[in-house]
Amino acid sequence: MSQPATLADAAALAHDIESRLNQVLIGQQQVVREVLIALISGGHVLIEGVPGLGKTLLVRSLGRVLELDFNRIQFTPDLMPTDVTGHAMYDQKTEQFRIRRGPAFTQLLLADEINRAPAKTQAALLEVMQERQITIEGKAFTLNEPYMVLATQNPLDQEGTYPLPEAELDRFLFKVLIDYPGHDDETRLVNMVLDGTIRASLDVDSLSPATDAAGLQAMKALSNDVLIDAEVLDYALRIVRATRDFNGLSHGASPRASIALARAARVQALFEGRDFVTPDDIQQVARPVLRHRIQLSADAEIEGQTPETALARLLDQVEAPRQ
Amino acid sequence: MELEKASARLAPRSPWQAADLGTQFYRHWAGPITRVWLLFTAVPYALLLTMAALNNSLWPLFIFWWLKPLWERPLLAFYSHALFGETLTLRALLKRWRHYALPGLAGQLTWRRLSPMRSFNASVWQLEQVKGDTASQRLKVLNSYPSNRAGMLTLLVLHLEQFMTLGLMALLYMLVPWQFNLELSDWFYDQSALQLAISGLCFYLVLCITEPLYVACGFALYLNKRTWLEGWDLQLGLTRLGKRRRAASAARRVVGALLILLLVPSMEPAKAETTPPAHSSQAEQQQVIELLASPEFMPLQEKTERQWINQDNSESESLMEKIWRFLFDNLDDEDAETNSTPLNIPDALLWTIFWALFIALALWLILKVANQFGLRGHSTRNRPVIPTHVAGLDIRKRSLPKNLNRAVDDALKAGDIRGALAILMRAALAGILARYPVALAAGSTEQQCLRTLQEQHGDSLPIAYLQRLTQAWISTAWAHRPVSDEQVRTLMQHWQQMDRLEANHA
Repeated sequence: MSQPATLADAAALAHDIESRLNQVLIGQQQVVREVLIALISGGHVLIEGVPGLGKTLLVRSLGRVLELDFNRIQFTPDLMPTDVTGHAMYDQKTEQFRIRRGPAFTQLLLADEINRAPAKTQAALLEVMQERQITIEGKAFTLNEPYMVLATQNPLDQEGTYPLPEAELDRFLFKVLIDYPGHDDETRLVNMVLDGTIRASLDVDSLSPATDAAGLQAMKALSNDVLIDAEVLDYALRIVRATRDFNGLSHGASPRASIALARAARVQALFEGRDFVTPDDIQQVARPVLRHRIQLSADAEIEGQTPETALARLLDQVEAPRQ
Repeated sequence: MELEKASARLAPRSPWQAADLGTQFYRHWAGPITRVWLLFTAVPYALLLTMAALNNSLWPLFIFWWLKPLWERPLLAFYSHALFGETLTLRALLKRWRHYALPGLAGQLTWRRLSPMRSFNASVWQLEQVKGDTASQRLKVLNSYPSNRAGMLTLLVLHLEQFMTLGLMALLYMLVPWQFNLELSDWFYDQSALQLAISGLCFYLVLCITEPLYVACGFALYLNKRTWLEGWDLQLGLTRLGKRRRAASAARRVVGALLILLLVPSMEPAKAETTPPAHSSQAEQQQVIELLASPEFMPLQEKTERQWINQDNSESESLMEKIWRFLFDNLDDEDAETNSTPLNIPDALLWTIFWALFIALALWLILKVANQFGLRGHSTRNRPVIPTHVAGLDIRKRSLPKNLNRAVDDALKAGDIRGALAILMRAALAGILARYPVALAAGSTEQQCLRTLQEQHGDSLPIAYLQRLTQAWISTAWAHRPVSDEQVRTLMQHWQQMDRLEANHA
C-alpha cells in the first residue's frame, strides 16, 4: 500500500483518493473535497442535506478506499447514549461485568440523522469526538487513529428534529452542505445505473483501496509541514474574530475555529500541490469551518439572511493580508 | 326626492358629524346592506380569489380592488332609497342595475379611480347622473370650501381596512397549532396558494364591513354638503310652517307660498336622480347654488386667519420657508377653517403630500417595470467602482511613492524584496484597475483580483504582466521563497515600459 514520502506524493495520493470517490459519488465534487480535507486534518464532519443524496455511500466509499473500519448508527428519538458508546453488562456465566462496545468503537463512524436524537444522546459523542476515547463504567478506552465522525442531519426546518448543542457543533471541523447534483451530473448518474456501469444499490465493491490508515497518517503528518506565513495566519484569526462582533451575528466562532481554519487551510494547500498556504486557501475553507459556528441575530434572520450570506459579507469586508 | 320623508334629520353639520351620521346609516341598515354587498361581490370575488390561488398571482385581487367603484354602486343605490323610506329589495336592485351602475362609471374606473374624493363624488355621478361640463361644474361647487373631508375619510377607511385585515390574519395565526411551526413572517409574506387564499378571504371579510361603511359616510357627507348649500333644513322648516298654516285663509296661503318660493331657490333640488329638470331651470338652480356656495353666503362659526410676519423679507427666505408660505398662502385663499379638530390639516399640505406620494409611486413603478424588461441602460450605479484597497494594499494613487523606481530600489538595497514587490504590486494594481475597472471587495485576495480581471477583460498585456507579478509576490510573501533582486528590477522595467505604452496608446 502506497505511503507518501513527500508533499508532492501526498498531493498525488489525495487526488487519487478524491477521483476514486468521485467515481461513485457523482456530482458531489465539492463535498468529497471537503470531507477529505477534514479527514486529513483529523477533524469531524457534519453533513447537512435532504435524504437520498449519497451521504451513506460517501462514508462507505471512504472506508473502502482507505481501508478503514466503518460503523453506522441511525439516530432516532429513542436512541440511548449507551447505544452509541456501549455499556457494561453482567455475564451470568462468568458472574462478572463485561464491557459491550458500542458502534462508536470504529474508525469511520456515520451518525446518520444525528439531529433526530435528543440532546442527551447527541452529547454521548462529545467525548468521542474531542478526546478520541470512550469511558464506560469509569474505564477509558482509546480509539484507533484515524478516527472520524461523519454526522448527517436534515435541514432544521424539518419536523421532529432537535438542534445540535453548540458545544457539539463546535467539535465538527467542517459543516458540509450537500445539495442535489447538477442536471448533467444527474443525467450521467441515471445513465450509468441504466447501462449497468454502476448499481443503484450502495455498491462500493468496485472500489479498490488507495491507501490505508498508515498512509492517511503520513499525509496528515506531511500537511503539518505546509508553511503558513504569519500574515496569512493573522488573516485567518481576523476572520474568526470578526464573527464575534459582526453586524448580523449574535455570537461568533470560538478559538477552536481559528485552529480548524489554519489546519484545514494547510490541507487545502496540500491538495493544490503547494507547500505554503495562501489567503485564497483560507477563504476556500472559511465557509465550511464557520457556517455552523456562527449564530445569526434575530434581526438578520427576519431580514432573510442565512449563515452563507453573512459569511460572504464578512469575507468581503475582512481585508486580505497586508504586506 | 321628498326631503320630508327622510328618516334622518337633515341639518347642517361639520364633516365629522356627517361621517358619524354615515356610521348611523350603516348601523341601521347593516343587515340588508351586507346582503347587497354579498349578492354583488361574493361570486366575482370567489372566482377571482380562486384564480389568484391557482396562478399564485395577486393580479385577480388587484382587479377586484380596482373595480371597487362598481361594487359600491348598489350600496349607494340602496342607501339613497332607504333614507327616503324606500327599501329596495335585492330583486329590485338587480333589475335596476343598468340604471344606477353605468352613469359615470367609465371615468370612475379609469382616470378618477385613485381620487380620494371617490365616496363623495360617487353620489354626483350616480344619483344626479350629470355629464360633461355640468358635471365638472357641479363637482367644483360641491367640493368647494369648506372641505367636505372626503379625502380624509378615504385615508381613514384605507387604514382601517389594512389594520383590520392584518389584525384578522394575526388572530388566525394565533389559532394555528404550534406543531405547524409556522413563522409569523411566513404567515404574512409567504405567497403559497393556501396563504394567498387565507389572506384574500380575510381581506374580503374586512371589506364586508368597511365598504358599506365607507359608502354610507360618503353619502352622508354628500347630503351634508347639499344641506349647507341648498338650505334643506330651512326648506324643511318652511315646508312644515306652510303646512301648519294651510288651514288659514287662501290669501295668506298664497303669500306664504310666494315667500317660500322667494326664499328657497329650489324646492326639490335632487329630483335629478329620477327626473332630470329642464335645461333652463337646471342652469338657474346651479347659479343659485354657486351663489350660495360663495364665501359671503357660507355661514361660518369660527374664523382663523394666518399671516406671515415680515413679509418684506420674502427675497431672503429659504426654500423651506417658501414652501411653507406657499402652503399657508393657499390656505389663506380659502379664508378660514370652520373647526379645530386634531385632523384639521391644511388641504394644500394634504394635496402636496398626496401628489408627492403619487408621483413617487408612479416613478417607482416605471423604474420597476423598466428594470423588469431590461429597458434601463447601464446606470452609473452598476458601473464597477474602482477599489481603493486590494489584498490589503492601498492602491490609491496618492498613497504610492512619487518616484516608484527609487522606492523599489531603496527597498531592494535594504534587502526587503517583499516590500519592493508590495510597492510594485500596488502601482500595478492602481494602474491596471484604473484602465480595466472591476468591482472588488476589501477582502479580495490578489488571486481573486487577477481572476476577476481575466474573466472580464481577457488576457491583455497588463493583465498578463499582473499574473507574473502575482506569482512573484506569492512566492516571496506566502511561500517564503523570495525572487531575486534582478527579477524585481525586470518586473519594474516591464511595468514602466508597459505604462508608457498604454499611456501613448490611450
